[in-house]
Amino acid sequence: MSEITLYDFELDENCYKVRLLLSVLGLSYRKVAVNMVPGREHLAVALMTLNPRGSLPILTNGEFVLSEAEAIMTYLARAYDDGNTWLPAEPKGHGTVAMWLQFASRDLHAAYLARRLAMFDEPGDEVALGLAARRAFRLMEDHMTAREFDRAAWFVGDNPSLADLALFPAIALSRDFGIEHEAYPALRRWMRLLRAIPGFMTMPGISDYY
Amino acid sequence: METGWYPVALAEGLERGTSTGTRLFGRELVVWRDSADTSHVWEDRCPHRGMRLSFGFVRDNHIACLYHGWQYDTSAQCRYIPAHPDLAVPNTIRVATYPSIERLGIVWAYDDLDSDAPQDIGFAERAPVTPVRSLYIDASAAKVFDALVLAECPSLKDAGGATQRSRTDALASLKSGGDEILVAVQPLSDVESALHIVIAGSPDVHSGDSQKRVSAWGEALRREIEGAAGYAGELRHGVAP
Repeated sequence: MSEITLYDFELDENCYKVRLLLSVLGLSYRKVAVNMVPGREHLAVALMTLNPRGSLPILTNGEFVLSEAEAIMTYLARAYDDGNTWLPAEPKGHGTVAMWLQFASRDLHAAYLARRLAMFDEPGDEVALGLAARRAFRLMEDHMTAREFDRAAWFVGDNPSLADLALFPAIALSRDFGIEHEAYPALRRWMRLLRAIPGFMTMPGISDYY
Repeated sequence: METGWYPVALAEGLERGTSTGTRLFGRELVVWRDSADTSHVWEDRCPHRGMRLSFGFVRDNHIACLYHGWQYDTSAQCRYIPAHPDLAVPNTIRVATYPSIERLGIVWAYDDLDSDAPQDIGFAERAPVTPVRSLYIDASAAKVFDALVLAECPSLKDAGGATQRSRTDALASLKSGGDEILVAVQPLSDVESALHIVIAGSPDVHSGDSQKRVSAWGEALRREIEGAAGYAGELRHGVAP
């Protein structure tokens, strides 16, 4: 059987999304540590050959190569989650999870850039990024507030899904770029539940204690 | 800034064994609930190194600082210092506290640190209430009240006639027939506020539909207030990847 390999940077939240899913699925894999900052190894010839986009994470499984965290997550769920709990087979649930995965890569990209700016001194407009990140967090807060009125605990459906795992890192790490959790009580309660998912793991910047 | 009672959280939303950071007039507070279900409002500052206690964690009836694990009991007294496990901790090591009370399903704090004799909160308990949500708005408390005194009570189960409005320093009531919502306003800073919204009436009647209606009403009010304040976040669309 071919071996799953993850090209990983420990401090990158997109790599963390994939590590988190691999962990809750209980999959063993080989981790290749990439020195993204300050080494910029993801832009060197070896990794650019594997992924011309020059982004992390990259996952390989035998000859198969895939980049982009959300895409990797859907692949892993389809390939290894027989019960379809993490990516529902039912059309509406599937579509809604896909929408939130898109949200995680698009609307929350501002949060990603804000953190890169704050932690690694990468370029960006701090004020504009902060506003856009807060706007995305507010949409998540309003959604989970509405979900609580229906006594629902997760972003989609009755169980945790890829949506929850993909949305978690940006808000959990928001203090790295100066956004407190004060204004997000529903997200605080959701994050607390999420930490209790079997196989949950943290990354630097997300406290083991809560 | 006026000394008085201000809301800091919805009581139900503050789960047992959890803490959260918040602000009153820009000053940082930690609000936490112990394992015996009592809520506490303290200065958000560990006396050891000044770390925010809201970054720490609650264990049983103690809150612990994330930096060095100093533990404080429900009276804000430091009881345990992990680096000196045999030390009888001196009584002088304690966190400054705010008088606090739960009323109308909301946690209130009297914004005078270590005050012995706070004034009466000035309104009676009313039970039952149905908590709706806390809503954070990029506008001053004064601007929020400007909008609240013109707002219509959302129609719930028993609407009847024009909205009757009343307010105290930090609480507004909107009433129409048998429907009534209560909105407590927390001044976070000069330019940010939090609204803590409850329905006067039993959850048996108001869970679900009424909560959704009032929550949507609150979101519309937020749009209106932030729109009037020229809120940049609504105008500047998300930064595209």
